Amino acid sequence: MSQLNVAVVIKLEPDFSEGSVSYNPDGTLNRAETKNTLGPHSAIAAEAAFYAKVKYGARVSVATMGPPIAELALQTAQRLSNADELHLYSDRVFAGADTLATAETLKAGIKKMQGDIDIVFSGHRASDGETGQTGPQTAWKLGFTFLGNVIDYEVDLDARTIKAKRLISLQGFCDIVEEVEAPLPVFIAVDPSYKPIFNTVSQRLSFAKYRKESEVRSKNHKYYLQVFNVEQLGADKTLVGLPGSPTIVYKVERIPQGKAKRQAEVLDGSNPEHIRKAVSKIREALSAMVIK
Amino acid sequence: MEKYDVAIIGGGSAGLAALKQLANLGKQAILLEAGNKVGSKNVSGGILYSKKPKKGRVFNVEDVFGEIFFQDAPFERKITKYILHATSKDKVFSMDLTAAHEYEANFGYSVLLNKLNGWFAEYASESAQKYGGGIVSGVHVSSISWDGDKTIVTTDELEQFEVKAIIAADGVNSEVADMTGARPKFSPEQLYQGVKVIIKLPEDIINERFSVDSGHGAAHLFAGDVTLNHIGGGFLYTNQNTISLGAVYHFDSLLENPAEPYTLINELLKNPFVSEFIKDEVPKRAEIDKKLPQEDQLRIRFAVTKMIKSWYELRDAALSSHKKNDLMKSGKFVSEKDLQEKLVLIRDQLTSKYKVSFATDYVEAEYSAKLIPDGKRCRMKKPYFKNILFVGDAAGRGIFVGPRIEGLNVGIDDAARAANAISNAIERNNFAPTYLGESYVQSLEQSPYTKDLTEIDKNYLKIFLDASKDVPKDIISSRYGTIMKLMSSGAIRSVAVKFANILGYDRLLPMVESVDTYVKVPIEIAQRLGTTITASYSPTIPSISERIARLSYNDDGQSHIKVLNPTSEFMKKLVVLCPTNCYSLENNLVMLSHEGCIECGTCSQETEWRHPRGEKGINYQYG
Ligand SMILES: Cc1cc2nc3c(=O)[nH]c(=O)nc-3n(C[C@H](O)[C@H](O)[C@H](O)COP(=O)(O)OP(=O)(O)OC[C@H]3O[C@@H](n4cnc5c(N)ncnc54)[C@H](O)[C@@H]3O)c2cc1C
Ligand code: SF4
Repeated sequence: MSQLNVAVVIKLEPDFSEGSVSYNPDGTLNRAETKNTLGPHSAIAAEAAFYAKVKYGARVSVATMGPPIAELALQTAQRLSNADELHLYSDRVFAGADTLATAETLKAGIKKMQGDIDIVFSGHRASDGETGQTGPQTAWKLGFTFLGNVIDYEVDLDARTIKAKRLISLQGFCDIVEEVEAPLPVFIAVDPSYKPIFNTVSQRLSFAKYRKESEVRSKNHKYYLQVFNVEQLGADKTLVGLPGSPTIVYKVERIPQGKAKRQAEVLDGSNPEHIRKAVSKIREALSAMVIK
Repeated sequence: MEKYDVAIIGGGSAGLAALKQLANLGKQAILLEAGNKVGSKNVSGGILYSKKPKKGRVFNVEDVFGEIFFQDAPFERKITKYILHATSKDKVFSMDLTAAHEYEANFGYSVLLNKLNGWFAEYASESAQKYGGGIVSGVHVSSISWDGDKTIVTTDELEQFEVKAIIAADGVNSEVADMTGARPKFSPEQLYQGVKVIIKLPEDIINERFSVDSGHGAAHLFAGDVTLNHIGGGFLYTNQNTISLGAVYHFDSLLENPAEPYTLINELLKNPFVSEFIKDEVPKRAEIDKKLPQEDQLRIRFAVTKMIKSWYELRDAALSSHKKNDLMKSGKFVSEKDLQEKLVLIRDQLTSKYKVSFATDYVEAEYSAKLIPDGKRCRMKKPYFKNILFVGDAAGRGIFVGPRIEGLNVGIDDAARAANAISNAIERNNFAPTYLGESYVQSLEQSPYTKDLTEIDKNYLKIFLDASKDVPKDIISSRYGTIMKLMSSGAIRSVAVKFANILGYDRLLPMVESVDTYVKVPIEIAQRLGTTITASYSPTIPSISERIARLSYNDDGQSHIKVLNPTSEFMKKLVVLCPTNCYSLENNLVMLSHEGCIECGTCSQETEWRHPRGEKGINYQYG
């Protein structure tokens, strides 16, 4: 069997789960006061890479662009993916990057990883800059096929192809699963509903082995970590950071919470009149539904 | 289809020892365990013995796992005191049986299986990995089939796979035995029901109250009126900072005179001798003023919960040399004084601000139950079927001789023998029952444990006779007159024992394992010779629903048990005998609600009984 090399691009994000988010008076995120963690979508991408490790013995590299503190996100991602290599792209020059400039940095980084990368995994999108563009743009820069909303995948190591299932939501109507096949290399944006399934004994055994190894590795994560500045990365300074960013965010508005449209009505179960009312409401709701 | 050399079904102590031994022999094996974590479904008393037989050899825990067991295994305490108490109301008469505990033993450690089996799993899987094997947990084996010379294992969770041989270590309620028809289900006369609660108590209090050093512990056994007229008795074993209190009764005698398992435990808890052993200082919350706004009530409840938790943590640390040192090292406290001051501060706040009072009571952490096979009556004579070897409780090899219960050590010995037999079979590529099965049987026949299961040992018997020499002869001779006369004289004893062995356990047991032995004689002894104990408090015993609520389950919507005959007399008794009240009687039909089931197996005799699917069901924290 030939080797598979996969990469995961992740992001350190404000921890929205803690409720410890803090905003500046102008409505932007107060990053200094908000706790940071590995973004939830990035965590799912790390799990998708771990699946490749368990199932195909893949070599896993994890990368992020950010301040030195982003090392924390790499450590968490290593615990989830049992990564063999951690990359941090950290330089003042990278600051102020939009998605396109970020994609340029990531591309340069992925090229520096050991072995030729066959699959890059990214999260669906980040929770603090909800654009979902970094993935496709990085894929485009790398010249990789982009597959979005992936919920399952299988690699044919000899033919160097991948079969993936994509979850497509036809807003409001239904969800469909599309099966696609593509030659490697590919860039995969993992769907938030992705859940790895291990259903053979050998997969469960490697799962247990790598899980244990990843605990040890992530405690010792610095050993696997390489930090790159712009020179070390060999990136074109005009294409990264603020100079490489055509987008300018000039204002972020907080959306005032709308009043809930739902209206609760208290009905008394012992009152026949109320029960009748409830039945007619249910009927009404049912008849309004279009069943396809 | 994937292929492995050996599959071990069940990750209790027996299965884990089999995995380790196969790895010791350089063989590939995988172990499948239904629980989501190894150890989460196992229950014991328990004292883990290491046997030092006069004749023959035993595979002890330290032989299979190596010296690392002594350095690293999470056993609780080395039991150095072993005392039997005869009870009658507030009277207790005690007999020191430490000699019986030490008989042919290298050691006996108190253990909690969640921790211990977790440790076994770590070491066994590490060794097994070297040969392409390991442990797969959260997987329930549902069937085994044969296709020519292929043996195929099917599970509820994974793709099928093929193996050369199987070790069935799936416990007393063995589905492997059931699905292959290797043996009939154990019947009530072959079983005991064990029920246990874990009680929290700080380490130093245990040391002082039981007069033992750190690391050492005591075992206390109970017979008499606490049995509520059943054959069997109670036990109390000290762990590092908990106590295991259990009741073990013969299933037949429970069917004859049904009593709820928790009533039997409660009877022990209420005994003044026991309640004094387990008492502790316990914070009691004050009623929260209902007139306060909802939010304030919640806030107070939250604050009190948090403070009580930290009080317990600090108090337990202050009363444990281990934990105290850890806290000092971690730099959380600079000195012991510092710790004590903090403790007083929290306590003051609790009493003054939140009106919490501190009372004498006890703290229960976990309720559990499981059937135990009585090997004298039910051991499989030929514990194999095709290329499957049965070990431990699955083979019915539990030892009940005197007050000692031995299942853990016996299972480990079986497992090592099964592993040795399979290793030879792999080398010769011969898995025929005439070779594999029979060589395992031969090895078992040489095991000193098999001797314990079939013969009376006169030297062991003498210990009990010596211990009872202070008991007035008339109490005993009115019941066991001739036996006593025969046994008391050294010269005749060996002839008598020989004669008894010819009669065999079958005929002797009903005489010795009787209500007389476990109930009447102890009551009489206690009444005539016992000292009076007065209790300083009466324990607040949780109801069964409170006990169930404290357990952790991974609920399965699907029931793993099917009632076959809802009008049978046996099933009607289950309404009382199920330890977690899963059965009820409606319109004269026995109805099951499987939520709350702790998989003890008590109802398995007349039900279609399976373990829950992988990861589902009970999840013991102590075990
Ligand atoms: C109250 C009480 C007190 C006891 N006191 C003592 C004592 O002091 N000393 C002593 O030595 N012994 C004692 N015993 C007995 C001892 O606990 C048992 O003999 C021992 O735990 C049995 O070990 P085992 O590995 O054979 O089975 P178990 O521990 O029952 O393990 C069987 C395992 O198989 C798994 N399993 C079952 N079916 C399947 C399936 N189809 N697929 C996958 N997995 C499956 C189960 O989840 C379980 O983990 C006591 C028992 C009780 C209940
Ligand atoms: S339902 Fe059966 S197996 Fe479950 S706890 Fe009750 S008696 Fe035990």
